[in-house]
Amino acid sequence: STPMQSQFDLKTYWTTLITEINHKLDQSIPIKYPQQIYESMRYSVLAHGAKRASPIMCIAVCELFGVSRLAAFPTACALEMVHEASLIHDDLPDMDDDLFRRGRLSNHAIYGVDMAILAGDALFPLGFQHIVSDTPSSLVPESSILRVIGEIARAVGSTGMVAGQFLDLTNAEDSQTEYVQEKKFGELAECSAVCGGLLGGATDEELERLRKYGRAVGVLYQVVEEILEIKREKTEEEGGENKKKKGKKSYAKVVGIEKALEQAEELRSRAKKELDGFEKKYGERVNPLYSFVDYAVERNFLIGSD
Amino acid sequence: EEVQKKVHFAFNFDSYMHGKATSVNQALDKAILLKEPLKIHESMRYSLLAGGKRVRPILCIAACELVGGDEASAMPAACAAEMIHTMSLIHDDLPCMDNDDLRRGKPTNHKVYGESVAVLAGDALLALAFEHIANATVGVSPLKIVRVVSELAKSIGSEGLVAGQVVDIGSTGATDVKLDQLEYIHIHKTAVLLESSVVMGAIVGGGSNKEVEKLRKFARCIGLLFQVVDDILDVTKSSEELGKTAGKDLMSDKTTYPKLIGLEKSKAFADKLNKEAKEQLSDFDPVKAAPLVALANYIAYRQN
Repeated sequence: STPMQSQFDLKTYWTTLITEINHKLDQSIPIKYPQQIYESMRYSVLAHGAKRASPIMCIAVCELFGVSRLAAFPTACALEMVHEASLIHDDLPDMDDDLFRRGRLSNHAIYGVDMAILAGDALFPLGFQHIVSDTPSSLVPESSILRVIGEIARAVGSTGMVAGQFLDLTNAEDSQTEYVQEKKFGELAECSAVCGGLLGGATDEELERLRKYGRAVGVLYQVVEEILEIKREKTEEEGGENKKKKGKKSYAKVVGIEKALEQAEELRSRAKKELDGFEKKYGERVNPLYSFVDYAVERNFLIGSD
Repeated sequence: EEVQKKVHFAFNFDSYMHGKATSVNQALDKAILLKEPLKIHESMRYSLLAGGKRVRPILCIAACELVGGDEASAMPAACAAEMIHTMSLIHDDLPCMDNDDLRRGKPTNHKVYGESVAVLAGDALLALAFEHIANATVGVSPLKIVRVVSELAKSIGSEGLVAGQVVDIGSTGATDVKLDQLEYIHIHKTAVLLESSVVMGAIVGGGSNKEVEKLRKFARCIGLLFQVVDDILDVTKSSEELGKTAGKDLMSDKTTYPKLIGLEKSKAFADKLNKEAKEQLSDFDPVKAAPLVALANYIAYRQN
């Protein structure tokens, strides 16, 4: 990376934004009657240690185009809301049956399966509502807001994250694991980047680049996550620790660690290649986008507590 | 007055409903194509195309046409209302909620496709409703479409459908449910989506703020009316006639209007709501208002 890029302090950028995003999310879900549902929604959305990767991607891309982050906050919060909604539903007993999320009990374990379903159902529309009512119309035209709505709805819908979750559940063939990864982890990152572009006024050509960039970063992050998981499991085995439970099937496990590492390198360079040309046009504002790619591989500092 | 009567007489409700339902069904069919993953899209189509009466979409279109808009500009919002209605039924029918096996005379979604698919199909229908409004509405200004998105979002989340279901779950089995709580449940579970269907239609049709608010009030009345009539039918009709398990509300100790205030008073309340609804339409051209008047009557006097 160039000297200019290495000067960019991603950790400060990220943690500063997390504080702002957490504050806005806190305000966007005030507790009303019937209290239970708001508590359940808040429990998941305001979970301590959430990385807020989607909101931050969205804001950074919006800022690339020199548009104030104020234009992006409502969409950023909405991305987090729909993300949490799908995680709540993914954790349900009939789905992945996960009792824990970020090191604490999952939503249904605390509020019951019925409330967890409803909390998810309420978070999706709250996200959309938040975008249309809180995006400053002086910064973003209504036509762009509609494109953002369409983009998020597509990403979470039947050909996006729902498809990923469905294929994951049905024990997709090994040959489909890569596709499941794309749908479960690439889709939201792609959507976040594209939304940032829409809010920032990107051209159609720029949006296409951001789409590919976002998808590559999302999948890259997950592939590295899986490689680290395999390494952790190995260390635990060698250390003779009791194996609590066998980790989930993953792309890295299916293809093996060597191939996964190759894939990660390829994704890293593919993601960066999509950013070609942005630096010339937008200068150092592109730095956060490069640093996300490197961070996905290097994990040189800790964010959140997943 | 004589003229008005004549107009109502000339309006053929059955053919109106049939015609509108046919175009809504065609639009819904086109809105969800069968694609990968097939099972998810089959499940969405199974419930969405199960042949409901399409009351919400038709209300949306009728309101749009009443204020001078055309059917085509209301169709995406109309379809979205039906998608949301369907998704809420799919989720409400789940074993962990109301645990219903039968809906519109057919096995419920989770009975056919399993619970995980039913949850996901509901989520996908919710998302599709917004995608459809945002992408498929043509000939309407983005400012108006944004208002439509907001209207729909408000009516289905924790201030709308979800709130109604939460309070409903909380009061099931309770012996001391009060009238205002029952009304809260019905307003949120039923009336708000009928309201937003009508209001979305009025907005895309280019209605003035005053017209939109009149129609909002109209819809509120018929929304509550819808549920009062539902409660009455549950006591007076058999399962076969209803296409769902009758008397379930009584058996499961669910609070209903007849239980709280008696059958006669429930019927009187229904009449009052119907009258109040129609009063909201008195300033509109009677010919153009005929479909909404007839829809209110249909809701008030339907037999299933």
